[in-house]
Amino acid sequence: MNAVMMRLTCPFCGARELNEFQFHKTAPEPGANPFASVYERVNRTDISQEYWQHVQGCRAWLYVSRNPSTGEVYQVNLLGTQP
Amino acid sequence: MSGRSPRYSAWSLLRGRFSGPGFWRPLWSGRQLQKAYDVVVVGAGGHGLATAYHLARDHGIQRIAVLEKRLVGYGNVGRNTTIVRSNYLLPENHYFYEDALRRWETLSRDLNYNVMYSPRGVLDLALSDGEMVSLARRGNAMRLAGIDAELMDRAGVMKFARELVPAGTRRFDIVGGLLQQRSGTVRHDAVAWGYARAASALGVDIIEDCEVTGLVTTGGVATGVETSQGSVAAGRVVFAVAGHTGAIGTMLGVPLPVETHLLQAMVTEPIKPLINSVLIYVHPHGEVYTLQSDRGGVVMGGFLDGFPSYTREGRWSRLEDVVQSAVALLPQIAGLRILRHWAGTNDMTMDGSFIIDRIRYDNVFLNGGWCYGGFKSIPASGAACAQFVATGTAPDLIRAHTLSRFASGHLLDERGGGPFPVRL
Amino acid sequence: MILRRGHRVTTQSVSFQFDGREYTAQAGDTVASALLAHGVRLFGRSVKYRRPRGVFAAGPEEPNALLTVGTQPCVIPNVSAPQLAVTPQLITRSQNRWPSLRVDLHAVLQAGGGFFGAGFYYKTFMWPSWRTYETMIRHLAGLGEAPGAADIAPPHVEHLSCDVLVGGAGAAGLAAALAAARAGARVVVCEREPQAGGELDFETATIDEQSATEWVRASLAELARAGARVLYHTAIVGGSDGLVIAHAEPGGIAKNNTVYRIRPQKFVMAMGAVERGIAFANNDRPGVMLLGAAERYLARYGVAVGKVLVLFGNHDRLYASAMRLHAAGMRVRAIVDTRCDVSAAIFGLRATLTGMGVECMSGHAVAEVHGVYGIRRTRIMPLQATGTERFIECDALLVSGGWTPMLQAALHDGGQREFAAKVSEFVASVQPEWRTAVGACAGTFELGAILTESFRAAAQFAHSIGAMGVVGRAPVGRGDTAPQLQAFWRSPCTRAHEKTQFVDLQNDVTVADLRLALSEGFVDIEHIKRYTTLGIGTEQGRTGGLLGAAIVAELKGEALSRVGVSRTRPPYQPMTLGSLAGLNQGDALRVTRRTPLHAWNQAHGAVFEPAEYWLRTRYYRANGTDAFTAGIQEATRVRTHGGILDGSTLGKIEVAGADAAAFLDRLYLTKASTMKVGRSKYMVNLREDGMVLDDGIVLRLAPNRFLATTGSGHAEHMLSHFEHYRALEWSHRQVALTNLTEAWAVIVVAGPKSRATLMNVLGEPWHARLSGLTHMEFSESCWQEQALRVLRASFSGELAFELHCQHGIAVPLWEALVAAGLPPYGLEALDILRVEKGYLVASEMNGEATPQDLGMDGLVNLGNECVGRALLGRPAFVEPQRPRLVGLRARDGKSVIQGGAQITLTAADTHSLGHVSSSVYSPALAQWIALAFVARDRAATGTVLVARDLLRGTDVDVVVTSPVHVDPSSERMKV
Repeated sequence: MNAVMMRLTCPFCGARELNEFQFHKTAPEPGANPFASVYERVNRTDISQEYWQHVQGCRAWLYVSRNPSTGEVYQVNLLGTQP
Repeated sequence: MSGRSPRYSAWSLLRGRFSGPGFWRPLWSGRQLQKAYDVVVVGAGGHGLATAYHLARDHGIQRIAVLEKRLVGYGNVGRNTTIVRSNYLLPENHYFYEDALRRWETLSRDLNYNVMYSPRGVLDLALSDGEMVSLARRGNAMRLAGIDAELMDRAGVMKFARELVPAGTRRFDIVGGLLQQRSGTVRHDAVAWGYARAASALGVDIIEDCEVTGLVTTGGVATGVETSQGSVAAGRVVFAVAGHTGAIGTMLGVPLPVETHLLQAMVTEPIKPLINSVLIYVHPHGEVYTLQSDRGGVVMGGFLDGFPSYTREGRWSRLEDVVQSAVALLPQIAGLRILRHWAGTNDMTMDGSFIIDRIRYDNVFLNGGWCYGGFKSIPASGAACAQFVATGTAPDLIRAHTLSRFASGHLLDERGGGPFPVRL
Repeated sequence: MILRRGHRVTTQSVSFQFDGREYTAQAGDTVASALLAHGVRLFGRSVKYRRPRGVFAAGPEEPNALLTVGTQPCVIPNVSAPQLAVTPQLITRSQNRWPSLRVDLHAVLQAGGGFFGAGFYYKTFMWPSWRTYETMIRHLAGLGEAPGAADIAPPHVEHLSCDVLVGGAGAAGLAAALAAARAGARVVVCEREPQAGGELDFETATIDEQSATEWVRASLAELARAGARVLYHTAIVGGSDGLVIAHAEPGGIAKNNTVYRIRPQKFVMAMGAVERGIAFANNDRPGVMLLGAAERYLARYGVAVGKVLVLFGNHDRLYASAMRLHAAGMRVRAIVDTRCDVSAAIFGLRATLTGMGVECMSGHAVAEVHGVYGIRRTRIMPLQATGTERFIECDALLVSGGWTPMLQAALHDGGQREFAAKVSEFVASVQPEWRTAVGACAGTFELGAILTESFRAAAQFAHSIGAMGVVGRAPVGRGDTAPQLQAFWRSPCTRAHEKTQFVDLQNDVTVADLRLALSEGFVDIEHIKRYTTLGIGTEQGRTGGLLGAAIVAELKGEALSRVGVSRTRPPYQPMTLGSLAGLNQGDALRVTRRTPLHAWNQAHGAVFEPAEYWLRTRYYRANGTDAFTAGIQEATRVRTHGGILDGSTLGKIEVAGADAAAFLDRLYLTKASTMKVGRSKYMVNLREDGMVLDDGIVLRLAPNRFLATTGSGHAEHMLSHFEHYRALEWSHRQVALTNLTEAWAVIVVAGPKSRATLMNVLGEPWHARLSGLTHMEFSESCWQEQALRVLRASFSGELAFELHCQHGIAVPLWEALVAAGLPPYGLEALDILRVEKGYLVASEMNGEATPQDLGMDGLVNLGNECVGRALLGRPAFVEPQRPRLVGLRARDGKSVIQGGAQITLTAADTHSLGHVSSSVYSPALAQWIALAFVARDRAATGTVLVARDLLRGTDVDVVVTSPVHVDPSSERMKV
């Protein structure tokens, strides 16, 4: 686990506290049709891919990969540039 | 096999006082997991236990097991803000919750377990004329359905809940409210234990420390479940796992319109009576619902933490948000201290209303998507779900609560918030 | 008065009140120490059985002595007497008794022991209903009085960051702080007490060849020189995500609190361990106290808690304590040690004590205490078969069953605990790498080992984050010998006596209750806790939690490590709501946003209403005594003459870039790309599920620059929505989004006189522009050398203009318009005007309505492929019973139509066809009108329905009309 938990590393602003960010929704499966994209959600306890926005910072939209059972953050990318 | 728990009453308390050991018996008797059941209910929370109870009581089903990963009542039913109410806007919801409320009224007698139903009134507060119109819309919808509702102006609110009379001015003044007098509180852990005891007395096997790890199917029909204690054959399977509803979807390969979120609540030290009803304060700038338990602690909860979490630990800032609204509502409580706190997982659906429906197989049922409002619905959920499972047809009260309603557009969205449990 | 001497008291005297009597204390006393010094024994009554109780502890673990401070309405209940500092004129009262502490009529409840066992209320009180009993029970329950008001200022809030945070300034904490400071780390120490030292206050110890007191003083001095911060009265209470929250409550009462928001790199937990008692019959009597508490009262306040003492426990520390207490003049009559063998380490001490007349008993236990209002004597029993019972008279019984590590902070964020059999306790085990437990927290009780272990752990932490200074060697200390504790949780007794063996003093939970819970099948510790209420009191299970779990383990015949203890949660120490709320109290609850015209409005009789965080003018007092009257006045005047409105809160988002037009096409129901520069268009956004999200006018400022307006208060939401789609689908394109809501003030100028007045005020340069400006066209130029944009658009249905200007000219422009004859109007009037015209606000765009529901079929049929469109085709949306927007008028032309009324076919009908979303009294039509949603198959113009307002008891016959009530062809705004 990182030195201090649940900070998100914004690609522009660096590691910032969680309260600066706002969660929107878990990311739909790639290639999901409009209905699935809007209504269905992936519910895994080991990993969650999510859309967050750095609302109290640069307002970048982020694609965050984290573990919802431990809070560990695996990766943060700019939304649209995630692998 | 130990004997049954004796019938409860003041007289039995007196007898118990003077009897030797062995007078009081376990509420639900430890039983062994059998190889096969008519119905397997997954989850020994309120919904699972109530469903099992009604399956046994109303439909005479003989072999029922409730399989619980942890222990009876370890989830929401064991720790919540105890509110029961039927003040819902949509007919598809308010008739259902009203059924629940009527059952709460007699549940202590039905279960022979005091669940302490206290119809002290739930008061929704409005801070603007626009909010008063929304409350009026909801109150009128309730009254059309024969459900009690009363619209109050500011003076009426201050008279009903004297603790709200402000010493000074408020940042956001209260302009009125909608009261449902028959709603109020129920002792949450009594519900879990009461249903467990009653179900057990009807022959339901309640098996704890038994995690269901998979569904066994043959030719498009479910034939049983795999558990940590071995395989179990089942004629029908009901999943009532609340915060883990999403995980069930994953297990069954059915993507669900459910996102799992965390919700915190807390209670203060006990004091003499201050708040005599349930106060609901839900606004864009802050949310809190607060009441006083019969032991005297001021209970309060607010909105979701705001991102998926199974940790059952919340973020501190959300505690602060909720308390800010609580102190804004009742400044006189600023000197009281938070003693205890809890947090749990909520299965949020994409329209905010629950789901009781078949899932993927004709003989597999999902009872979930309760968002943060599962507790109040337990008696009705149990009865309706049991009827669905036993007869194969959904009763009218839950006919609209299908999985397919999202695709067909028959959404049950009380708040108009759309498919976003967390607002942007 | 004989002056007492102790670490915390000075010679200065101070008076206070307890239960109506004045007492004199010394400065530095707590209410507990002062009252004990005066021989007061009775401090309160227990919550269920109302048994008389005295002080049990000397810290927040105090279960009994909770007092109410102050007088109504501003009382603070449940204040722990051992922590409450005596201040001049302090007024305190005992709680939970009537009419007095000594004579409490509810004490009859004690006779009900056995009837009122754990969970008794689940088994009875059902007939006729719970409500019958509830009021009485609520009055019996609860500890202190409910406050009528609070006289508590918001806390100070301080943000700190540091390299090493140390929790606790006892031996372990100070050693850790020294190591970290010497290494060069920035150190913050949080100490719950008013002074540092912890148990060093009384332990017989030398550290680095100094007395403990001198070492503490020297250490603090060194820390101060190194720039370390030591925060007193400050307890660590919680936090999350790397933030540690500490709460300072000087004087033990919520008056002058501080909340510290600390961001440490590393956290050393040295919060020590809290002593626990042993259960025996009547172990709750006044005079039964924790041994360490007695030591603290002596060392800190010079208070002798009794004259003749009996000590009872299961470890070697009993003997060192006995020496100290005896030396201070208290007569130690006996030491009752449950262990059968005497360890070599204390042979000498024991011999000395025996020589002093102290009876040292091994293999014995206190079976029972006699004396209801204060202990008179103890009954001592042998633990082996041989031996007889004895009675020993005393006025204080000091108990110590061991110490329970304060692990709360160690269990958060994935921290674990494990059972350490050697000390019969749960200690911290696996921790996240930024946190470690040292000292008693980690199960180390011997001073030498504590100092070494803490010093090294902190040094290692400091080094790991780059503070590489030389730390030297750890302090070398010798104190009381290691406890050599042998677990002993309760004295054997008969079943009947189990009802008086208290485990949780505050909640009156006895061994009998634990046994009852087990027999009822509650075998899990969490269930037992909930069923018996073990550990849920103000001391959060500090004294009773582990004791209860251990007794459960014995009753079950299971290992304590298997039984476990219930989960601990924040706050680690009870924290006041006022402190949790922080600075966001009163008017500062949320930010108040004001427009540039706010001051002018306020000075001119505006009545404001909150709109999200904004304050907007509802109406002006000059126009009427209430909103209703003033609104009609103002609206009428707009239609007949004209007026101005402060529309500055209107959301404004600039969308610019080469791909701006295409981007807007994607985000709006209709295309923006077809707009000409200099023109604007009314546009609608859909949410992803097809519901209408927002609407507004979009202006094309330049080929690649648009200004999108949103509903007031919606700008942030819409901006995030746009930014989301830009990132999701447009990340490689050029679209710049900027929130300009606060950049432009907006003044709406509306009415027949609007154009003429505007030309008058703006002057010659604007004449041609204004007279040539067509509907939805705008023009940009200057006024008084500052940028001004004038858009011809209308939300009132009158000829109207929206002025966008920067703050500098907002007030002058406004004043000029007023002076030129256009008075201001507010939101109340605006609502009348827009309902008359069928324009929509949040009441209609409520998140439940599709564009077709709102009559926007035409826009939908243009077929623009936008966000939300794909889900519009769902079957429910075209069903005949689905409500759509209509207008309504009262059939009799005069009845009031209420907003929120439900619409049915007849007055007897209970099936809802829809509801009234907005209703106003229309001065233009001299009757009430409304906008409503009605089922499509009943929504034909002319249909007669009923608007049922059962809440107010009215049923009004209504007629369906077009939503555009006034000037349906919009002639008035096209002049």
